[in-house]
Amino acid sequence: MSVIGSISPAAINALPLKGLDPAHKPVIAAPLPDGMRLAQPAANFGSVLEGLVSTVAEKQATSVDLTKQVLLGNNDQLHQSVIAMQEASVAFSLMVEVRNKLVESYQELMRMQV
Amino acid sequence: MNLISGVDITSGALTAQKIRLDIVAQNIANAQTTRTPEGGPYKRKIVSFENELVKRAGGSPLQTISVSSISADKAPGQAVYNPQHPDAGPDGTVQMPNVNLAFEMVDLITASRAYEANLSVVKNSRTLAMKTLEIGK
Repeated sequence: MSVIGSISPAAINALPLKGLDPAHKPVIAAPLPDGMRLAQPAANFGSVLEGLVSTVAEKQATSVDLTKQVLLGNNDQLHQSVIAMQEASVAFSLMVEVRNKLVESYQELMRMQV
Repeated sequence: MNLISGVDITSGALTAQKIRLDIVAQNIANAQTTRTPEGGPYKRKIVSFENELVKRAGGSPLQTISVSSISADKAPGQAVYNPQHPDAGPDGTVQMPNVNLAFEMVDLITASRAYEANLSVVKNSRTLAMKTLEIGK
């Protein structure tokens, strides 16, 4: 007796076939609460951007302050000053990237046919 | 916002190794000092490191290091027969500091190599961050 023949039709009917049933579509992602619209964002985009810019400015100010302390001889932590400079530079690069993306999307919108 | 991850840890390590380097400089400079404010010859100083937990919001707790103490080496120094020396005892011997230049050089090289290793971490972190920003290009 073959293995396939040993499976009775009753056993096949008992298998769950929810995946093939059109009434039971697999849920990939949770549906949006209200059709296509997302829930109200916690903060508006402008304030997020403002926070980013002020953080970058803060980093630069910290780096300038540390460098000044080292140059004046009040502090000998040269590495901290250089690390702060590098971090400020990376943060600035990130800000520039975000700005480039923003300008790009704005220009894309302006090119749109109405 | 900490863009270069692990930079706090590396900064602590750099500070600690720099202190170790400074202490080596002090030991070598005082290898012939026979008179100190505490009295007696100079005692070699040793730096001991301790682990420090850095807790950060939303990230894993990481461990950095700091200098826990700078203590004196208790090994006795050499007694050199030198009756002309102003600090010579009644028997004509001078207690010299317990500084061994060979030990100090080994310590110096270890500290500077450790410092270089930590600098490489900073450099590579920065390179990775800059490379990541190039994703969008």
